[in-house]
Amino acid sequence: MNKTISFSSNAKFLETQSNLYTRLTEKYALDRKLETDKLNEPVLWAKNPEDAKMLVKAFMVDESTKVDFLSDLTAYDNEDGEDGEGRFVLVYQLYSITLHTRIRIKCLLGLTQQAQSLVDLFSAANWLEREVYDMYGITFANHPNLRRILMDERFSGFPLRKEYPIKQREPFRDNIDFHLGANPLQVENTIVEGTPEGEK
Amino acid sequence: MSVKDLEKDVHTLNDFYNPNVLINLGPHHPAMHGTLRVMCRINGETIEDATCEIGYLHRAIEKLGEDKTYHQWMVYTDRLNYCSALNNNIAYAMAVENIMSISPTERCQYIRVICMELSRIIDHIVCIAANALDVGAMTVFFLLVHWREQAYTMIESMCGMRLTTTYARIGGMSYDLPDNFTERLWKFCDEIPAAIDEVEQLLNSNRIWIDRTKGVGVINKEDALNYSVTGVCLRAAGVDHDLRRDRPYYMYPELDFDVVVGSNGDVYDRYLIRMEEMRQSVKILKQLNKKIPSGPLWVNDKRVQIPEKLDVYTKMEVLIHHFKIFMEGIDVPKGEAFSCVEGPNGELGFYIVSRGGPKAWRMRVKSPSFMNFQAF
Repeated sequence: MNKTISFSSNAKFLETQSNLYTRLTEKYALDRKLETDKLNEPVLWAKNPEDAKMLVKAFMVDESTKVDFLSDLTAYDNEDGEDGEGRFVLVYQLYSITLHTRIRIKCLLGLTQQAQSLVDLFSAANWLEREVYDMYGITFANHPNLRRILMDERFSGFPLRKEYPIKQREPFRDNIDFHLGANPLQVENTIVEGTPEGEK
Repeated sequence: MSVKDLEKDVHTLNDFYNPNVLINLGPHHPAMHGTLRVMCRINGETIEDATCEIGYLHRAIEKLGEDKTYHQWMVYTDRLNYCSALNNNIAYAMAVENIMSISPTERCQYIRVICMELSRIIDHIVCIAANALDVGAMTVFFLLVHWREQAYTMIESMCGMRLTTTYARIGGMSYDLPDNFTERLWKFCDEIPAAIDEVEQLLNSNRIWIDRTKGVGVINKEDALNYSVTGVCLRAAGVDHDLRRDRPYYMYPELDFDVVVGSNGDVYDRYLIRMEEMRQSVKILKQLNKKIPSGPLWVNDKRVQIPEKLDVYTKMEVLIHHFKIFMEGIDVPKGEAFSCVEGPNGELGFYIVSRGGPKAWRMRVKSPSFMNFQAF
């Protein structure tokens, strides 16, 4: 009864994916760590941020990877050091529209280490990198506009870091200075208080 | 008064041009629903310059995902996109199941695909109806929202809730289908195409509609790919890409449906694609409805299976098991997965990094609209 129907049963897809694996093992995984995740997708560990960007560039021109789509760019906290030395892990989720294969590039980053921006390769990286900066405080070299995106600009701290308490709040005043009632403007032809019309 | 004097009084748009006229769209503007704030400098009806601000709806859902157990977080997936809560529920359940290497039963997969297609229809209805309402076609809104109502009633009969469904569970669904569901779905599938046709007759050759949608908001193919636009917006730009066909999950490889691709990438193309996708969804629903298999709804896996209520009340061991599932949460093994579904708006992905235990280490929601807004 428990019939499994998933894309992994598709023979043609399996062939492309195994080609991709062979290519990754032969060319890219010589001095890098290649893993698979629970969905059998390749995860390649880059040596450093520059190497990660170089890998993305290489995958974009490689015939057997044909990466042309940045599915997601994110990071996660590696506070417990389970993935190795480095405070954060930067994650690129790459996708190929033609081959339908996914590749994940991961890269360990130190607490103050700078990552390389992908904006010159994918415009989509712009907001995604801003989000990573906003949430983790990872800075990106050569990013055109690295500001907070989801949180308020006055926010301090990086909420998705593990040490940030979930219940911490930072309330702000309205970020527009103009307040009704704060500095009332004199309006002509208003009735002066105390002398209502008809009470003369 | 001579004709010349009259002509003097005629103003063109340029006479009214004032570079200081700014329009603030959102975050509470009815067209934005809090998701995006746009400050535009306008000249007549043309936007000359604009800046965006996003984040008014940021609810720290990813942080909550690290704090709640996998089960508790299910309710938050409803709130990711309330037009297609079912789709989010199922996509999330699928992601956790992938990490646990669980494959849902066949009946469960059928129900899930039915839910996803229903929510796709609802989402497209909301999109087209609200779009038409904004350009003044109120009839379309009423025609379509009636069908959204029908779909919601059907969903209500499935799980007891309309908007925020929380229907899926890890390893199964919270309830089985109600008794008369098949007949209701047949009725729905038989009647909605007529409504779609009627809306098409109203809009396809409508001068106002065409003027306001054709050539508006064009995203070309290169930009769409470069900005990681997905879903309808990507297909409207002429990229033939649909995860249901290209990376099929559940029943999709066995189903017969077409992927609709546009060519111009403007609002009109997106509207046409949404209309046709609704028809395709109806086609899928019909195929599924013919052969919903009987059999168990839940996987036979003690780690995730929520016991029957009757057993919980009568058997000690089952009560303890029930208690452990809900108080401690399910134990998800170490590992990670990035599992994506084709949501109504585009590629909805959940990237979960698990380091063992009942809570996720990292819960990343890759939302389609964030990318679509960026391109905007």
